[in-house]
Amino acid sequence: MVAWLAFAQDDIPGKKIPSVTMSAPEIVSITRGKPGTVSLHFRVERGFHVNSNKPKSEFLIPTALKVNPPTDIIIGKVSYPAGEDKSFPFSPDEKLNVYTGDFSVDVVVRPLASVIAGKYAVHGELKYQACDNAACYPPKKIPVDFQVKVVKGAAPVRRNPRQSPHIHS
Amino acid sequence: MKRDPIIIIVAAMVVTAMLVFGFHMSRRQSDQARLEGSNLQGKPAPDFELQTPDGKTLHLSDFHGKGVLLNFWATWCVPCKVEMPWFVELQKQYGPQGLQVLGVAMDDANPEDIAKFAKELGVNYPIVIGKEAVGDAYGGIPFLPATFYVGRDGKVVDKIYGLKSRSDIEDDVKKSLAQGQISQAQSQKPSQN
Repeated sequence: MVAWLAFAQDDIPGKKIPSVTMSAPEIVSITRGKPGTVSLHFRVERGFHVNSNKPKSEFLIPTALKVNPPTDIIIGKVSYPAGEDKSFPFSPDEKLNVYTGDFSVDVVVRPLASVIAGKYAVHGELKYQACDNAACYPPKKIPVDFQVKVVKGAAPVRRNPRQSPHIHS
Repeated sequence: MKRDPIIIIVAAMVVTAMLVFGFHMSRRQSDQARLEGSNLQGKPAPDFELQTPDGKTLHLSDFHGKGVLLNFWATWCVPCKVEMPWFVELQKQYGPQGLQVLGVAMDDANPEDIAKFAKELGVNYPIVIGKEAVGDAYGGIPFLPATFYVGRDGKVVDKIYGLKSRSDIEDDVKKSLAQGQISQAQSQKPSQN
């Protein structure tokens, strides 16, 4: 009975505020001048869904990451996972492309070859719009912060020019 | 100079108590403001002046004497999209009896997109572009859809948050058409004297 009541209360729209949280990202080491990938892991609270990066309607707000890198750090491709096609009680005949539970976004980061080796903080924000089974919540942005450790590349291997087998006199 | 540790502890406790009290009071005040907006049942529906996507000005009070279904919605809200065709049907069915559906779009989409969205759904009732202050007057509208039913006397009959069934909506439409009807009829009744 208590469990049912708790479930029923979870189903009341607005009972809980939807949230998407980001787990603390690992510090990724990237060789300067070369691209590296940083994976950012997000979790959608149970009972809610957010639109994927490619929702099925032009009117729906996609989940999107905006990154503001420091100077000399270039942000390349941002890869989003494919959403899941799901129908919901409010519209059983229509499938929406959504993220639920855990999802990850990969960001390609390339420090310029001239950058000084060291740790760099990268800031950004994830925009999402969440719904539950009966209501939708206004679009929200959460801060996204991660660090990259820029390392010097391995020193190029210097090869001695091949010695001519001929003896020069 | 040596300080008595008891005095330091008491001072720390007093400061902590003051901080907790201040926090509690500020929270209470903001809750109270929201409650006043959300506890509208039986009270006059807050009037507003909003623009339609094509720039016409509408007031809620323009519809005084009618039963009003005031629906807060957004183009990004799929449950809102589900109930809008029901409102179209209800407007056709109950419009002659005095129902007026009024949609308040609470999103940042441009007016052209709002009009396009409404046209695609065959909306046959006015749409106005909402403002945060109007949402606040109605209790903050933390999520959508949110629908307020206003009687012919301008008072809020019911409020519904989230998507409900068509029959629940129709029941509230009937209530809003009934409220204020008796008092209006009485005021229009010729004097017996």
